[in-house]
Amino acid sequence: MSPTLCIAKSMRLSCAKTRCPAIVRCLSTGSTSPSEQGSKKLKTLTKEQREYLSSALRVNQAGELAATLIYTAQTPPITNRHPHLRPLMSHMYEQEAAHLRTFNGLIHKHRVRPTALYPLWSVMATGLGWGTAVMGREAAMACTEAVETEIGGHYNAQIRELLEMITTWKQEGYDVGSEVEELVQTLRRIRDEELEHLDHAVEHDAKKAEPHWLLTNVIRAGCRGAIWASERV
Amino acid sequence: MATALPTRTATRCFRTTRPRTCNQHIHSRRAFHSYDHPPPPGPFGATETLILSAAYKHVPEHGFTHRALSLGACDAGLLDISPSALPDGAFSLIRYHLYTQRLALAAKSSHIFQGEDAPVGVGAKVTALTWERLMANREVIHQWQEALAVMAQPSHAPASLKELAMLSDEIWYLAGDTAVDPSWYTKRATLSMIYSSSELFMTNDHSPDYVETNKFLKRRLGEVQSVGGALGAIGQWVGFTASAGINVLRSKGARI
Ligand SMILES: [Fe+2]
Ligand SMILES: [Fe+2]
Repeated sequence: MSPTLCIAKSMRLSCAKTRCPAIVRCLSTGSTSPSEQGSKKLKTLTKEQREYLSSALRVNQAGELAATLIYTAQTPPITNRHPHLRPLMSHMYEQEAAHLRTFNGLIHKHRVRPTALYPLWSVMATGLGWGTAVMGREAAMACTEAVETEIGGHYNAQIRELLEMITTWKQEGYDVGSEVEELVQTLRRIRDEELEHLDHAVEHDAKKAEPHWLLTNVIRAGCRGAIWASERV
Repeated sequence: MATALPTRTATRCFRTTRPRTCNQHIHSRRAFHSYDHPPPPGPFGATETLILSAAYKHVPEHGFTHRALSLGACDAGLLDISPSALPDGAFSLIRYHLYTQRLALAAKSSHIFQGEDAPVGVGAKVTALTWERLMANREVIHQWQEALAVMAQPSHAPASLKELAMLSDEIWYLAGDTAVDPSWYTKRATLSMIYSSSELFMTNDHSPDYVETNKFLKRRLGEVQSVGGALGAIGQWVGFTASAGINVLRSKGARI
């Protein structure tokens, strides 16, 4: 039942008919169906979609913050003992720093509340980076392997969700704006870089860390917990 | 078409078309601001906007009251029954003021930030915008203590605080602050406190052009910079606002 009908009715009951046309006109401009909007037919984001996008950007910001801090903490102990790893470590750090800048920019642009657990993630990521680095090169690489495995899967899940959004819009006859399409591109690019880090880690003996199964499982569980919390807080 | 509807259905429908989720509306506007997609619906329905915008003109004389709502409904061509369609009653009118004046800041900011004496730097812009928003209370300031008493009621406090938070966010955003680190939170919390205490100060300020409020605002903002952050301002704000706010509420008959 449309509000227009009902309000028009209550108007008719309660007061002079003469004012009705103006009010009905005012009411009917509220809706935005695809046929009414010129060349670009974009659908208003639902509350759920806006909340999903906000929480996705927030958790990505938290994750990339953690990644830069892990590499920052790992680099001195690792490169002191293995100078040949310096270019690799700084390459991975640079990429993480660029990811963080990307999400910081998006958080500001889309006016999303940043993560509230910033200080907590800072302490935990630095601890994780430093702790694995002093355990040795293999442990540090196992840390990267575990983190990037979780993060790669996490970005994939976001990409799937956005592609689903896009498919639904197309099915309903709406256009897809550059905003969401570019976001998918950004996520794909960053996901690929994370998976590169994963490959580098495995190439550099991540699997030789002792005990590999314990280390990677603990870190991956920690990542999942951090993602769970960042999506909410 | 409308006349074909049986009366009872129409009345029921009129009530139910506007669900009581005003807090959610306000809340959801914070999440993900899109530049491509059409904006989500505002917190007020079309009829509500019609009544509220008409009633708002009666606020300087009649306050944020049912009387103003009734007069507004009549101006809008609806009879006295219509304000009952506003489930939050007089608070809707207060929220309408908060909401429209917050949105109006964006347009005003482009004027403020132009010209020779335009503020330079984020801090000066925050000061200018906060002052501009305070001046938007000018026409209703003599009714504002009553409004604060309504806003402090437990059922309205969450929505009122949410609006305050969104005003702070708007000011920092318009001022061009891009930080998304923990200072995001302290900046907004501090400005919320400074704004609300300045507003309370303004309700008792009879100086020409509110020069005393202007000094008060600049002192508070200055303290934040000199005392070194939110902590000093929080203590200050709690002290002033708690005592001034309690006095206002007591004078309005609240038993606290
Ligand atoms: Fe990354
Ligand atoms: Fe990475």
